[in-house]
Amino acid sequence: MASTIIGAGITIEGEITTDEDVLVQGTVRGKLNAKDGVVVEHGGVVEADVTGGPLTVSGSVTGNISSTDRVDLQPGARVVGNVKATRITIADGAQFKGNVDMDV
Amino acid sequence: MATSSHDVTVIGRGARVRGRITGSATLDIQGLVDGEILVDGDLTVGETGMVASDLSGRRVVVRGAVKGNVTGEESVHLEDGAKVVGDVRAPRIAIAPGALVRGFVQTAGAGAARPRTTAAAKATTTATRPAAAHAASTASAAKPAVVPAARGSVPRGATLAGTNHANHTGAAPVAKKGPPPPIVPALKKGAKGALAKKR
Repeated sequence: MASTIIGAGITIEGEITTDEDVLVQGTVRGKLNAKDGVVVEHGGVVEADVTGGPLTVSGSVTGNISSTDRVDLQPGARVVGNVKATRITIADGAQFKGNVDMDV
Repeated sequence: MATSSHDVTVIGRGARVRGRITGSATLDIQGLVDGEILVDGDLTVGETGMVASDLSGRRVVVRGAVKGNVTGEESVHLEDGAKVVGDVRAPRIAIAPGALVRGFVQTAGAGAARPRTTAAAKATTTATRPAAAHAASTASAAKPAVVPAARGSVPRGATLAGTNHANHTGAAPVAKKGPPPPIVPALKKGAKGALAKKR
């Protein structure tokens, strides 16, 4: 269970900073800084720059993503923004627009 | 996830949110929130939770620290360990032993007026409007101590406040705090004589 959960129906406008993992089912606008994993579930909307560890997106992310670990875009994900991570997977059916920057 | 079926939002103990939190889910705050919280669902501020702004929810339970006004649509429970600096408003409020509150607390049916305003009104009537104050029953208790000292006459009871009209209007300005009134009207030397001569 994630330590911080933004439930469906909740909107956070501002900056979220945490050294634990975050699960987004609702809406986040602003900034999202996590040291650990970030999961944007189906229905979750993130209109923010996201930094953190492993990131899994099934919902929508509008903003730049920077991860110290991997970024996984699941089927149904919609991402608009630049992605910087060590590893990136984009599943079939994921929508993505932006630059990809991997450690080559 | 097990929690995905519920509409539960958790701000973990390592999390820090700067900004507004709005919505209609159940909210559990274990971390730090610096920004307004407006939810339709239940709201819990846990032992490790800290909120540095106003918060409102349906049923609010506080076990942590809140610096801001707490408003509950249904109820507010301040449990052991709660520290609230701000006003608390709800139809039903429970403050458990061990909870600390500094602020104005109001439940339903307690009336609209704040007690502070009535105290201020009482102070102004006794201090600045002594002539009218004899009508107020609240002010009469303070008078008997002041009036005999100022007049040097027979001590009077509190019941005299309404009956002795002339004495009170005359004596009350002496009891007023602040600089004493001028004894002599500010007239130049010989001005009185000049007036008499003109007549």
